[in-house]
Formats: sequence, C-alpha cells, structure tokens
Amino acid sequence: MIRARTADWALALVLPALLLVAYDGWARTAGNFFFPPLSEIGSTFAAEWLFTRVPTDLLPSLGRMLAGFALAVAVGVAIGMLLGLSRTLSTALDPVLQFLRALPPPALIPVSLLVFGAGDSAKIFLIVLGAVWPVLLNTVDGVRGVDPTALDMARSYRVPAHARLTRLILPAALPRILAGARTALAIAIILMVVSELVGADNGVGYTVQLAQRGFDIPEMWAGTVLLGLLGFACNAVFVAVERRVLHWHLAVTGRATHARRP
Amino acid sequence: MLDVRDLTKSYDGVPAVADLTFTVGEREFVCIVGSSGCGKTTMLRCLSGLVAPTSGGVTLHGALVDGPPQDMAYVFQDYSRSLLPWMTVAGNVSFPLPYKGLSKAEAAAATADALDAVGLGDRGDAYPWQLSGGMQQRVAIARALAYQPRILLMDEPFASVDAQTRADLEDLLLDIWRRYRITILFVTHDIDEAVYLSQRVLVLHRPAHVHEVVEIDLPAERDQLATKRLPEFGELRSRVLSSLRAPDPAGVNR
Repeated sequence: MIRARTADWALALVLPALLLVAYDGWARTAGNFFFPPLSEIGSTFAAEWLFTRVPTDLLPSLGRMLAGFALAVAVGVAIGMLLGLSRTLSTALDPVLQFLRALPPPALIPVSLLVFGAGDSAKIFLIVLGAVWPVLLNTVDGVRGVDPTALDMARSYRVPAHARLTRLILPAALPRILAGARTALAIAIILMVVSELVGADNGVGYTVQLAQRGFDIPEMWAGTVLLGLLGFACNAVFVAVERRVLHWHLAVTGRATHARRP
Repeated sequence: MLDVRDLTKSYDGVPAVADLTFTVGEREFVCIVGSSGCGKTTMLRCLSGLVAPTSGGVTLHGALVDGPPQDMAYVFQDYSRSLLPWMTVAGNVSFPLPYKGLSKAEAAAATADALDAVGLGDRGDAYPWQLSGGMQQRVAIARALAYQPRILLMDEPFASVDAQTRADLEDLLLDIWRRYRITILFVTHDIDEAVYLSQRVLVLHRPAHVHEVVEIDLPAERDQLATKRLPEFGELRSRVLSSLRAPDPAGVNR
C-alpha cells in the first residue's frame, strides 16, 4: 500500500519534471526575451519572493483572499441554510439570486471602486461576490438532502430546533458545503488576482502586472509561478482539512464504492 | 396507557388510517401485523406525534398526543438512516439526552447502561458504520433505552437483518422488555415474529384499522426452539395468517 503510494508520487512527478527540463532546454537555445530560462526565473523568484515581497505583497493578497473566502463561506452557508429550510423563502428570493449569480464579478469592479474606494474592502467585496455562489447553492442542496428519517428521529426524541440545525442538518450537509467551499476557494484566488489589476497598490497580481508593464519578464514569470504554487498549496491544505473533518463521510461512501467491486 | 380512538389520517382525501381504535396497557407487549402498504407506518407516525391525525386522537397516560411525547421512544426500521454517521455509537445514544434535561454525567451513565444492556458496552467509541447491521440496530435500541421511555414504538426494526441476527435481537428485546418494565408496541409484517414476541397481536387491514385481535396465550418464557415447536404456536400462527387474508367488507367499502 505504502510502496504503491510512493510509486504513484514518483509517477506523478515525472511529467512536471520533463516539462520543466524541456522548457529550460528550449528557452536556453531560443533566447526569446519573453521566455527566460528557468535559472533566471528561479533566481528572481528567490530574490523577490523569498522573502522580500512576502510582507509587502504576498501577505496582503493572502489576507484579502482569505477574508473574502471566509466571508463567502459564512454568508453562503447562512443564506443557503435559510433557503434550504424554507421553500417560500427560496421561491421568493430565486429571481434576485439568479440575477446576481449571472453577473460576472469583474463587471462590478468599477461600482465597487466607487462605493468602497481603492482599499481592501472593494477587493474583498469582489471576492465574496464571486465565491459565495458555489457555497450557497451547495448548502441549499445539502440541507434539502438531509435524510427525512434522521429528522424524524431527532423530532421524535424532542431535540429542539436549534440543536437539530447545528447537530444534525449542518453536519449532514457538510460534505456538500465543503465541496462548494473548495470551488469557492479556487474562485477566490482568481478574483484575488483580478481585483489587484485595477486600483491596487500592492499584491501578487499587482506585482505581476507592474513587472509586465516594465518589461521585467523574469519578475512577471516569478509572480505567475507563485500564483500557481499558491493555488496548489491552498487546494492541498483544503483537501487535508476536508479529509479530517469528513472522515466519516469518506468511510461511509468509500465502503460503498469498495463493496461494488467484484 | 396508550389509547387510540377513531384515529383517521387521510392524504388528499385517501385514508391511510381509518377509524383505528385500540388500547395498549401498562407493560404490555403488543404486536401489530398488516400487509405492506396497509398504513402501519402512517399509524406509527400519528401515534408518535410526528404527524397530526385528520380526525380522532391518541392519548398517552390520559394526555392528548399532539407532538412527540416525553416518555415515548421510536425505533425506526432503517437504522442506517436513523443513526448519525458523524457521531460515535456513544454520541448517537446520548444525542437526545441533554435536551431531556440530563447533565453530562447523567447522560454518560445512562448511555453506558443502555449500551451494556444491548451488549455493546465496549463499542461506544466506534462509529455506527464500523458495526454490522444487527449491531447498528442494537445501537438504535440502546438510544431508545437511554432515553428512559415508558413506551417503545418499533417500526419493523428487524426487517433488514439476517435470520440468525433477527432471532438474537428478538430475544434481546424480550429480555429488555422484562428488565426495564416498559410497554412495547411492535409493528412487523412477520407473523412468526409477532406471535413469538407478544402477548397480543392486532391484525390490521387496509386502510389501517383493527380487523381482529389475537390473544397470545403462550407461556411467558419464550424460547426460539421450544416455543416455536408448541402446537399452540402453530395454531396462533395460522389464526393470524387467516385473519390477515380474510376478506374485509368494511375495508373494501371505505
């Protein structure tokens, strides 16, 4: 089992390594100004992002992204619970929500700059507006999908409504909520970058754009690589947390999948 | 103790339960048999206060049932859905207890006692999905016992376990019934099970109403082999079966 996993890891690393080697070989011979060799990108990366720009650009970016993501999850779960529990409310709110959902968040950058100014609030607002939907919609589905037998059980044992909500409905909906949150995290990272392209004076996205405008190509690439690594790391952390929180869900569904094998 | 009078429950004008009347005495073990789809589950949902009847009513100790009563526990047929997979076995058993006003220590003691009573004293830290089906249903029974009810409603609780496990669970339930001195109303579609467990079998016809009451005058001490070999057991079995199959003009006319 463990040997198989090590082999899987090794196998998974082969293609990225090959791609990097191929790129480096090509970039060295081609001498294209826009595609510098790896060593150049690497040394810029080390000089800029380890760790000079961490407090000035990376942390502000991360802070806004996490704040936006956290708010999106909180708002999405709260509204999603209400809509999942009340058909009347979800019918009444549906058109408004559909309209808001259809708006591309970047289209709201001008408005949010006017309302919130050029500070962090406008950027966090944009991230929330984009990232809230997968959480909200999945929460609604998760709440509606709670087993009626479990609800009957709790009611027959006179478990009060608030406890049914926090100890039964919320945990039962959690697999769906976390699936939504994972999508929201990816959206939050995208919108973090987008929000920094207009009206920003720091951040990873801002740095990349500034480097591109100043034809500092290695720096542009170093920032891009950082964004890729950031997305990868965020997802890895999220998956680790999800595994821990949903161990029961993985065990139950995992067993079901296992049982179907011959 | 439990008094059901002219209970009727209709959905869109179609009755699922119609003029159902019966009483269950203190510490009685009563089984209800009926063919599938005869409204047994709807009846239980009315008795447990989960749904309001269309007309008629249910009283428990003289008090009208208009919501889940405090000293009643309901054991569902589908343990895999009534047990919560994110809670341990002990967590599931103690889940309702804080809302009944038990302190943490009292709840823990009641949980440990109930798990001991069903033979799962050492599995409190396991998760339900780590246990076999029979063990999971024992957890559901333990949850009902820890709640310290005076009456237990059971909806085909052993329908989805294998025959050997089922026999073990039946004997466990008889043992619990005697030790805890509780009243049990047990719904099943299995005639053998009904006759073996109870003191009285109510035969329901569709829409749910009592067609016949069969008194089970078997010796109080039951044994899977000896009791089922008795000629009286066979006779009672055939009586219940013929009652189940009997034509029922009242039912047809409804």
